[in-house]
Amino acid sequence: MIQTIILGLVLGGVYALMASGLTLLFGVMRIVNLAHGVFMILAAYISYFMFIELGADPFISLVVTMPTMFLVGVLVYRFLFPRLEGNDRYSEMTVLLTFALALVIEGLLGYFFTGIFRSTTPAYATEAFRLGELFIPRGQLYGSLASLALIGALWLFLNYTKTGHGIRALTQNRTAAEIVGVNVRRASTISFGIGMALAGAAGSLLSFLFTFFPGQHWQWLALLLSLIVLGGLGSLLGAVVGSLLLAVLSALVSSWFGSTWSPLTFYLALFAILLIRPQGLFGDKEAV
Amino acid sequence: MFLQIDDVTAGYGSGPDILDGLSLDVDEGRTYCIIGPNGAGKSTLLKVICGILSPRSGSIRFRGEEVGGLRPDQLLAKGICFVPQDPSLFPKMTVRQNLVMGAFLENDRAVVKQRTEEILEQFPVLGERANQAAGTLSGGQQQILLMGRALMIEPRLMMIDEPSLGLAPQAADQVFETVAGLNAKGITVLLVEQSVERGLNVSDWAFVLDLGQKRFEGPSSEILADARIGELYMGKAPTIE
Amino acid sequence: MTPVEPELEIRRRGSRRSRVVFAVGLLVVLVILPLSRPMIGDSFNYVLQISTITLMWITLSSSWNLIGGYAGYISLGNNVFFGVGGYLAGALLVYQGWSPFLTAPLAGLVGMALGLVVGLITLRTRGPAFIIATLALLLMAALVFDNWELVGGANGLSLPLPDFPREWVRVPFYVAMAITAIGSVLLSWKVAHSKLGLGLRALAQDETKAEVLGINTRRYKIIAFALSAIFPAVAGSIWGYALTYVRPSVFFTIAIAAQMVLMAIIGGRGSVAGPVIGAVLLVAVNELSVARFGSSELNIVVTGAILLVVLIFFPLGIVGSLRQRGKLPGFLDWD
Repeated sequence: MIQTIILGLVLGGVYALMASGLTLLFGVMRIVNLAHGVFMILAAYISYFMFIELGADPFISLVVTMPTMFLVGVLVYRFLFPRLEGNDRYSEMTVLLTFALALVIEGLLGYFFTGIFRSTTPAYATEAFRLGELFIPRGQLYGSLASLALIGALWLFLNYTKTGHGIRALTQNRTAAEIVGVNVRRASTISFGIGMALAGAAGSLLSFLFTFFPGQHWQWLALLLSLIVLGGLGSLLGAVVGSLLLAVLSALVSSWFGSTWSPLTFYLALFAILLIRPQGLFGDKEAV
Repeated sequence: MFLQIDDVTAGYGSGPDILDGLSLDVDEGRTYCIIGPNGAGKSTLLKVICGILSPRSGSIRFRGEEVGGLRPDQLLAKGICFVPQDPSLFPKMTVRQNLVMGAFLENDRAVVKQRTEEILEQFPVLGERANQAAGTLSGGQQQILLMGRALMIEPRLMMIDEPSLGLAPQAADQVFETVAGLNAKGITVLLVEQSVERGLNVSDWAFVLDLGQKRFEGPSSEILADARIGELYMGKAPTIE
Repeated sequence: MTPVEPELEIRRRGSRRSRVVFAVGLLVVLVILPLSRPMIGDSFNYVLQISTITLMWITLSSSWNLIGGYAGYISLGNNVFFGVGGYLAGALLVYQGWSPFLTAPLAGLVGMALGLVVGLITLRTRGPAFIIATLALLLMAALVFDNWELVGGANGLSLPLPDFPREWVRVPFYVAMAITAIGSVLLSWKVAHSKLGLGLRALAQDETKAEVLGINTRRYKIIAFALSAIFPAVAGSIWGYALTYVRPSVFFTIAIAAQMVLMAIIGGRGSVAGPVIGAVLLVAVNELSVARFGSSELNIVVTGAILLVVLIFFPLGIVGSLRQRGKLPGFLDWD
């Protein structure tokens, strides 16, 4: 039991990183980025090939995937989203746009890299620390710590920089941010870039924690969406708490009923939260 | 000329022109009231001047410089600020933090701190609630906070859209006192107000808008007395409860 | 409301006649097709198969349009009803020996009931949260059916073909699917011209205002969702039978959800004709793309790319864009 909870917690840290980019984008722009999962997988492929070709550790390729994905995010946002502005169904249209983007990238990944299951295999991925009866997998512990460090950095950025203040203002009230002089276009572009960079970091970690293939991104997306709905759409704290909670819960479900059913935990939690408290644990009522 | 609007047209999305070749001139240091029936384009005019909405054609000159189509943050840096009618505070931030956000464009922390304290002192309603979340304030207090926040950049031109909307008469009186006080600071005020009598009472000069054009202008006191205008526009305009 | 100008009145009356002519013509083609074996010859079965597929997609996208178009609630999980219908009829065939042609209406009823239940839960949310909920619904269904031993898990169930002469074996599926498609388009037309449709369009524009006007938006949305589940379930029961197997990968994939949405959006969501036009067009594109690229990965790219282009350049779809320019031909104006 305690062992299961430990395994859940170290995974939960990584989920939190995966979910943080998604929830940030929703908070700032009310965009649900359905391409978040596929961008993670894309980053995982970058790490994979850097590992195979250059022998680069995923923690090192993270330094490449993050800026690369930041740039991709900025370009995607600048080229695709302004064309939808002025549409009276902006938020719906953006969801569909990211949906279309996810399909295109999924197809391209599948075409170039096929559906073979892959993963990077640094030594620590298969080792564990022992604490008496209990053990902690090293790879997952490192991944979790790196995730929490990145989320901490994001939190510092949002709370202690001018740009961060502007982004936070934007999440609370768009008009208000505009009239106090936040450059909304710029803040949105940066947020999109950061969201993608976080997806990039998550992808690098994913590359040694899990096996991956192109079509897998929908499962990841659904998992992440249930985490951020539970935590409250747009809330960073909610994403972290939701991730830890559900990761532990699904680890328990997995140990009781078999690993096949552990994804069901996420979907059922999603529906349960929609029934009981649609705004999630830490969310705004208006967001739902 | 302080602010010169010349033949401006504007509208939302792919919709029709709400402002339809509107022209008007504003002098420095006075308070103006804009009145007219629903859909006349009053709020749209303010949004165009502050940059939330871009004009489709025409020119907007502020202190001799063409400013039409600039972003809100660029206009704010020139001293043009806007207090919209929909609640646009940061509900989860405290009163003090909202004021600090008002000076988002000011990079000198000491200046920001000093101005924040000044405003908190000047408006006791805010000073007493400095550490309360803005979302918990009453409607009238929120309106005063909005104006206090706008003052943080020491604006030259302040545009206020329907400050008394949804307020109880007593709270509205308090808000209008604040509006009247702005003039004493040398700030030019453009006020849109559904409650025409109140709006005319605090202003020097009034513009009467209809169908996106200026129909009439004159000293507020004269318009208040003019039965013709009253019949045409005030009667139509719904007053607040 | 602007009064209808006399000229416009005449044009609408004219378009009414052209609409009727068009609809009758279409029906004649649909009836003649299965009788045309002597004329078409060897490719008869292929032509019938493609027609059946087209009719199936017309059913799916027209039904999706009820909730996604009229009500403006984008669902990425409506193929769940398609799959449940397929599995229900398939299981009844395997375990009870009942023909799916007979159990298809039952599948429709079950689909509607399921739609009602799912709607009660998911329609508590709006906007992005609703999209998330429906996506989760789809993935959850895929997971359950992948692991449900009674219905064969990931391998699904094999279904026997009906006892029919080989050269005519496609005909009953075609006929059943044609009836289903006509039913779904008629339902869409009926809803568009009813108080329900009016209410749905009002809430799609501005839900709060619609509520203030006294429209019970919650009830309207749930009804629309339940209606949108009927014909996909019927189509699913026929389609599984036609394929001779039901399997999670046939029904519960994101690609199918994407196609439903894409067809309605390309054609013009919120209109009666839009999803039909979109379905015909996309089936043609898919056939070409499969013939050209072969691999299913590039087909996903094509689907995504088309959706991307349509969203950015023609967000109103074919019908919507033409109507906005006043160039919608009368025979396509079914609203």
